[in-house]
Amino acid sequence: MKRVITGNQAVAYGVILSRVEVISAYPITPQTTIVEELSELIASGRLNTRFLKVESEHSAMAALIGASTGGVRCFTATSSHGLAYMHEMLHWASGARLPIVMVNVNRAIGPPWNIWNDQSDSLSQRDTGWIQFYCENNQEVLDTILQAYRIAESVKLPVMVVLDAYVLSHTSEPVEIPSMDEVDAFLPPYCPEFPIDTQEPRSYSVIATPEHFFEFRYKVQKAMEEVPEVVKKVDNEFRARFGRGYGAIERYGKEEAEVLLITSGTVTSTSGIVIRKLIEKGRSVAGVKIKRFRPFPSEEIYKVIRGAKKLAVIDRNLSPGVGGIFAHELRASLYSGEERPEVFGFISGLGGRDITPDLIEEAIQYTWEHPRPEGEILWLGLKK
Amino acid sequence: MTKQFTFKGAPEMPTIPISLGDMVWNKTGTWRIQRPFYEDKAPPCNAACPAGNDIVAFIQKIAKEDFEGAWTILKEENPFPGICGRVCFHPCESKCNRGSFDEPISIHALERFVADFATSQHKKMKWMAEKGREKVAIIGSGPAGLSCAFHLTKLHYNVTVFESFSLSGGMLRLGIPSYRLPKDVLDREISDMEALGVEIRRGVTLGENLRLEDLKDYQAIFIAIGAHQSRGLGIPGEKRKNVFSGLDILRKINLNKRVKLGDKIAIIGGGNTAIDVARSVIRLGKKATILYRRSKEEMPAFEEEISEALEEGVKIRYLVNPIRIGQKDGLKRLECLRMELGEKDESGRRRPLPISNSNFFIEVEDVIVAAGEEIEVSFLPKGMEKKEGIVLTQKDGSTGVKGIFAGGDLTSNQRTVAHAIGSGKKAAMAIDCYFRDKDSEEAIRQTFIGEGPSISIFRYLHPGERVMDSHIVTFEELNMDYFESAKRQKESKRLIKERIKGFDEVTSTLTNSSAIEEAERCFNCGTCNECENCYVFCPDASILKRGEDLSHQVDYDFCKGCGICLTECPRGAISLEEEAR
Repeated sequence: MKRVITGNQAVAYGVILSRVEVISAYPITPQTTIVEELSELIASGRLNTRFLKVESEHSAMAALIGASTGGVRCFTATSSHGLAYMHEMLHWASGARLPIVMVNVNRAIGPPWNIWNDQSDSLSQRDTGWIQFYCENNQEVLDTILQAYRIAESVKLPVMVVLDAYVLSHTSEPVEIPSMDEVDAFLPPYCPEFPIDTQEPRSYSVIATPEHFFEFRYKVQKAMEEVPEVVKKVDNEFRARFGRGYGAIERYGKEEAEVLLITSGTVTSTSGIVIRKLIEKGRSVAGVKIKRFRPFPSEEIYKVIRGAKKLAVIDRNLSPGVGGIFAHELRASLYSGEERPEVFGFISGLGGRDITPDLIEEAIQYTWEHPRPEGEILWLGLKK
Repeated sequence: MTKQFTFKGAPEMPTIPISLGDMVWNKTGTWRIQRPFYEDKAPPCNAACPAGNDIVAFIQKIAKEDFEGAWTILKEENPFPGICGRVCFHPCESKCNRGSFDEPISIHALERFVADFATSQHKKMKWMAEKGREKVAIIGSGPAGLSCAFHLTKLHYNVTVFESFSLSGGMLRLGIPSYRLPKDVLDREISDMEALGVEIRRGVTLGENLRLEDLKDYQAIFIAIGAHQSRGLGIPGEKRKNVFSGLDILRKINLNKRVKLGDKIAIIGGGNTAIDVARSVIRLGKKATILYRRSKEEMPAFEEEISEALEEGVKIRYLVNPIRIGQKDGLKRLECLRMELGEKDESGRRRPLPISNSNFFIEVEDVIVAAGEEIEVSFLPKGMEKKEGIVLTQKDGSTGVKGIFAGGDLTSNQRTVAHAIGSGKKAAMAIDCYFRDKDSEEAIRQTFIGEGPSISIFRYLHPGERVMDSHIVTFEELNMDYFESAKRQKESKRLIKERIKGFDEVTSTLTNSSAIEEAERCFNCGTCNECENCYVFCPDASILKRGEDLSHQVDYDFCKGCGICLTECPRGAISLEEEAR
């Protein structure tokens, strides 16, 4: 069934199709319509899911930690300050190895007060032990949620599915909605390794002294290292069943290109148009979309950049004192490689300012013309 | 008994930080250093009730629409809910914690509602068939005497009440006008006494046709003959014709006797009798002016009575003291002094002092003196003399004469219906102790509500049931997060112009719905009403429900003593104590 729906509606469909048993969430723009949609379905009896009303995002995640420990599949969605407020519980979810799936609608963090698109909220949670996926369109949003439960429950780590505020959350696109039967065949019910048994009560998330804490963290890292293989396997299976697949990264444009443009989220779609236009003009350019930010797809990226001299990275985020976070991670991952193309780190579109085709072309043009960047940060579209 | 594991390396360890075996052995309750426990405490209203009503308990019943249950609870402590609901000065309401939030609960209106419900359902007390051998004589059928008779009968004694007048009720009948207390309400509640098995002999007057020696068959006597003498002013002209006593006027009106009065009347005094007289006189179509020697603040009459009197056209002149009643052209000529207030006197009120050369005259047709009541003890035995205006008794009501107890207005200056009922109840307990050779003072102390002196016969009869700590719950101990402002339900009153046409009752009974609404306003101070806040908030799931209608209990195996239950208890019904280790 194909329907024209917003990104937030696509999220709701993903949740319904995944047979989520517990939802707990607190409203925040631009995430609110996800929760509205779901809670209305539950209230009207059309969705048999328990909705826990809470007084904060911190409590929403805490509630899911309880539910997930109890052995049920659960979901929440948030944005910006709400995600920041959850921070402590994000660590808890991953440390307790709970396969919670959460949607974060990318929104700037204030002040100044701003409700528009910006990746700083989710990227500032990069060290919490959550797998992170950045989506480009509404179809990908729905599909990624279905995949996320398979991945999370396989490696016992929580997954954050990220989409851009308004550009996806409130914009309608045609989306193919799989049938319940197809999804059931793809996504089996959740079977926890250590379900709560009241006849034999165990102590969960116990204290671990210096004797053992270290090893638990080692196990989290080991699980993260399993993710690339699992993602690949799940994506292949998904592609076989539904005819769509994504991968950790996606390369498009010229086979052999001197300049590679690296983006994430909806900027990728705009970039695709710009790159096609430049290729038509005879430029040797290509693009790479990074979907899986955590664990960072170093190996996958290294494979596709061979031969490229320069990498232009557009970051819709800023880590003050460092620069763009994607560029930063990319530089670090290239260091051990034999080929080390120049990384041009552009910062653009903070707080929801549009990243237009002209700006993208300007970035590629600059990279083309300069042997190396004139600084760690290149400001794109800044009113100087 | 901790169990410690040491793993050689990561492969041996579980994926998630979880105990390897069950943790039933580890009762987290052992972490507790303080222990919460359910403990009902004294609600301020109960503690303030001179009659010892269990106010919160009866209001809880109303809120559950169990009006009959409410009546049963009221009747445990007080034979006269219909009377108290109408005429009591309700000190419970002045102490009501809700008064610090919005407005106090209209307790008197709820009490009256329950009594009137019982009447509408023809509820009667059950006849006490089983009676012991001991006989008790009670002299006086006012609220003290009847309360004592009521409780003694329920304690299985043979009780006979001797009333000098041809009708029973004492001051309830002769002193309180029927616009405040209709005679049928009084008759009904007295007949309920008789239904229980109290025998009342009317027209038998102590000192006239009854002597104490005639009561040899009775092993105990309770004397509650009240205070029926009007206190004089001690000023010249007081004995003149057309100078009446307030009590005489009220008695005549109450007995439907003809009262011959002029049109313009002065009433001297500031107590409830003065107000009752003034409002009665107004109802006879006369003009009434009260003369009071102090100011409004010092007036002993009840606030609401005063304001109703003013509404009805009674004039009150403050700081005026008559010093002589003269006569001029058929009128009474009152010579008065203007007064000013000095230092506080022994009653705690500011003493009125005459302003010299402030003499002036007030001319009226009749003067009614209502300056207080006195007791008459000339016919009482030795050991029951008048001292400081009352007959002094021990704390339990016993007198210097063995087997003779006394109470009510005779032995106290707090002369209200509720105090009389409390005093009769106390005498009943004391007489029971006298027969059983028990330490009455200690037994009575055990029944204190709060710190006393309010006492509960229920606790006397059923020690260990409905246990309540003596601590009186304060407003600060309640959790106002759980209450919303709600309007106090008022009894409707008849229009003033209708009121003054006769002696029909001024206020009317609450409707069922407004009574329930009012009962729902009650905080239930210190009294668990199974609201389940503790159950909902306990982070360790350590509040156990004991079944549908039973209250909760703490699961001490797992309670960690965080105290959230008592913080979230809206009504202070949970306490915390340090663990003894």
